Amino acid sequence: MLQDAPRDPVGRAVVYRFDKVETLDGEALENVTILVRNGVIERMGKAVVIPEHATMHDYRGSGKIAMPPFALSHANFLVRDRRGSGRNAKYRAVDSLWLEEGWEKDLLKEGVVLVGVDPPGRGVPGRTSVLRVDGQVETPDPLVADLHLKITVSNSSSAKRLIRDSLAVADKAIEKENQARKDWEKARADWEAKQKEKAEEEKKKEQTEDGTIPPAVAQGEDEQKDKDGQEQAPPEEFTPPPVDPNIAPFVEWIRQQRVAQVWLSSGADWLHWQDLLGERELPYEIVLWHGTSQNIYQVADAIAATELRVDVPARISFLPYTRVRANLPAELAKAGVSKMILSPSSDSWSAVKSYRFAVAEVVANGLDRQMALRGMSLEPAMSMGQEEVLGPLKVGSPATFVIWNGDPLNPMSQADRVLVDGVVVYDRAKAEAEDQS
Amino acid sequence: MSQNRLQFLLALLWLGFCFVATPKAHAQDPPNPEVVDENPLPTEEEVVEDDPNAVDPNSPYLVILGADIHTVTEGLIPRGTILCKDGRILKLGKRVSIPKGARRIDARGMQAYPGLIAVDSSGVVRGRGQNLRDEYDPFALNVDLGLAGGLTLVQTGGALAKLKHGTLDGVFVGETHWVKLSYSTTSPTGRRKLREELGRVRDYLRAHRQWALSKELEPDFEDPEPEAKGFKKEYLDLLRGEAVARFSANSLKDLLATCDLLEEYPMQAVIVGGREAWACAGRLGRVGAQWVITPRAKSWADETVNHPSGWSIENARILWEHGVSFAILPNERWISTGGLAGRDLLTLPMEAAFAIRGGLPQQAALRALTLDAAKILGVDHRLGSLEPGKDADIILCDGDLFHYRTFVQWAVVDGKVVYDKMKAPYFAHIRPRSADSLEEVVEEIQRAIDAPEEE
Repeated sequence: MLQDAPRDPVGRAVVYRFDKVETLDGEALENVTILVRNGVIERMGKAVVIPEHATMHDYRGSGKIAMPPFALSHANFLVRDRRGSGRNAKYRAVDSLWLEEGWEKDLLKEGVVLVGVDPPGRGVPGRTSVLRVDGQVETPDPLVADLHLKITVSNSSSAKRLIRDSLAVADKAIEKENQARKDWEKARADWEAKQKEKAEEEKKKEQTEDGTIPPAVAQGEDEQKDKDGQEQAPPEEFTPPPVDPNIAPFVEWIRQQRVAQVWLSSGADWLHWQDLLGERELPYEIVLWHGTSQNIYQVADAIAATELRVDVPARISFLPYTRVRANLPAELAKAGVSKMILSPSSDSWSAVKSYRFAVAEVVANGLDRQMALRGMSLEPAMSMGQEEVLGPLKVGSPATFVIWNGDPLNPMSQADRVLVDGVVVYDRAKAEAEDQS
Repeated sequence: MSQNRLQFLLALLWLGFCFVATPKAHAQDPPNPEVVDENPLPTEEEVVEDDPNAVDPNSPYLVILGADIHTVTEGLIPRGTILCKDGRILKLGKRVSIPKGARRIDARGMQAYPGLIAVDSSGVVRGRGQNLRDEYDPFALNVDLGLAGGLTLVQTGGALAKLKHGTLDGVFVGETHWVKLSYSTTSPTGRRKLREELGRVRDYLRAHRQWALSKELEPDFEDPEPEAKGFKKEYLDLLRGEAVARFSANSLKDLLATCDLLEEYPMQAVIVGGREAWACAGRLGRVGAQWVITPRAKSWADETVNHPSGWSIENARILWEHGVSFAILPNERWISTGGLAGRDLLTLPMEAAFAIRGGLPQQAALRALTLDAAKILGVDHRLGSLEPGKDADIILCDGDLFHYRTFVQWAVVDGKVVYDKMKAPYFAHIRPRSADSLEEVVEEIQRAIDAPEEE
């Protein structure tokens, strides 16, 4: 954490007053006072009673806007590895991190407090991870090390075979485990029944010899018998047979214990994915990663019908073989996609720097502004399972927000401060002063 | 309101007609198990309540109304109706009752043909053999352009693929077991080797037959089974009749040599090329091979030889007259957007039009693109003509198929519209189809008449 950043005393109220707050919980609010205490928004609204001794930050008249911070779903410039397109499900993205000095500050400067990283490669390259960006430590402790199973689908027989075979092998592993469990249960039940029989026999014997016997002694004798007995007791706990670590994530996925991230780059990929899925019902999210030209609009209705979360690059693309511009995020929204992540148009630093500009372009060409802002912050956070870290601004939610010196979708605006749980983790004035010195 | 009453009376009349006419028709015709009366007589209530023109987009039925139907096998049905169900043609003719809710195409003024078939093409769609479906891109430019050119089936990478936009269902039709053989006069060694290998196959087949016969007849026959060696396994398939040999031959020498080979080793064969075939058409007709010709492929006559040589615009006509069955393929076997129009599969009918210019009857040219091509590929039981029971792969053109101005307006594959010129971005701007259908025009006129005079 920045050493010089003002730390607000515990228990003491801090008050922020803004002309405008993008709460992302409905429309933007005007003339808002936010009262933060112990890292939580205690009160928020037009008429808020300000306690005595509260620290006051009055930004009214400055054009500053508060908004929940951004979350990048694919900050893959933080990850480097050489991996092909095979079955590499055992890898985690967090193990391939390649962080350069000052990465956190650069992200905070863009108003980002959460990043997802994907394992590099195609096919089944591994599982995604989530990092918190709070300027606290250089080497991060991941929030989630092992999240989604990343799968890339394309209209190639080898790519399809890889996924088909993985699912088949996982099915077999599940079957094997079920069989093993059944065998164990049977063995256990048999053994227990036998023990009971033995115990009863013992009891009868003892009773015939002399009246009653203290139960403790009887038990002790039982245990002794076990040890002497020819039959070995089956283990108390069932241990499942070992599973190939490259298949285990598939097993969890089939058991609905894991969500997959399915990467598609064309309309055909969607059909091939549906073909692979067949009758299965597996939990997954859709990541679109097409180039500048795309024909995904052709399957927009089918994608919308699934009601799944869709991750789409914020980019105006072209219809294939034409210079006809197409706004895929807006088309998807029109088709009925409601949970949309708007990610930077590529996995590079430069795309993060032009992120807000790209989103502004998509909004200017027809995407709903609220949907776009949610797609930059709340939706990716939800996809990462971090809705408690990053949520809409309302009473009772953590005081995690960015103070922009203008409209966040204006590329000229800059983040003045980033607050996480009420703590200022980035202060532009201080950071600039540091850079100069 | 008088019009409503009139309509009601008409409906009643029609009902009456149905009651009288239907049993009569049944009495006359032998019962046909395939033709199911899918349109039971509506009761009076239904006639009054339901809009008979209501369309259910998920209906298994597709009706193509008013097109001139080129059936290929049964001639032309002018202004007929094609009724498709579940991807097959159910009925076609002048009087076909329309099931309720059927999807419909108003094709008045259009020409309906079976979808065109490209034999021995390459690169129109991705993938080989069994992998074809997994590699298929149903939104690819080639699929749309192929359909725009009237193609609905291509042979590629040892498999047959239907061109379908937006779906993977039914795109893979099957594999074609073709064995590429080279029997060119330019490579005497290659020819000798091929003949020798085929000879070994024949010897093996004879030995094996002898052995099998002995084993069956003699109880104490102990000889081991003859070993299949000294030749490629696929040659065995050829002489067993389980595969098709694909030759490439253009010059008279090569053509005659190939005929010799086929007479010595009878097998199913497709010969691609045939530029000088006109000069030995009688011989070719007797060999019984099937052909894939390119009518526009040219080579000038060689003045130094004492036999006919060079190309002829009449090539296709002469072959047809000698009973040679052929398909037509352009010089480029793929869809090219390189700029030179009319040389690739985008304009397959143009290639056939050239053969027509050389005297080939139009019907024969149509067969070459449809039924005869399907025969070469062994799918003529499903494709290649418009007949009840066949796949509903139909193209609707706004003019004669062989006219250069003609556009494919709709392509239907497996009973679904997979290409609509006005909805695809390629040719919609050229001579756009009128948006108003005749019905709408008539309705508008009627409204104008019915409207009370103002002022």
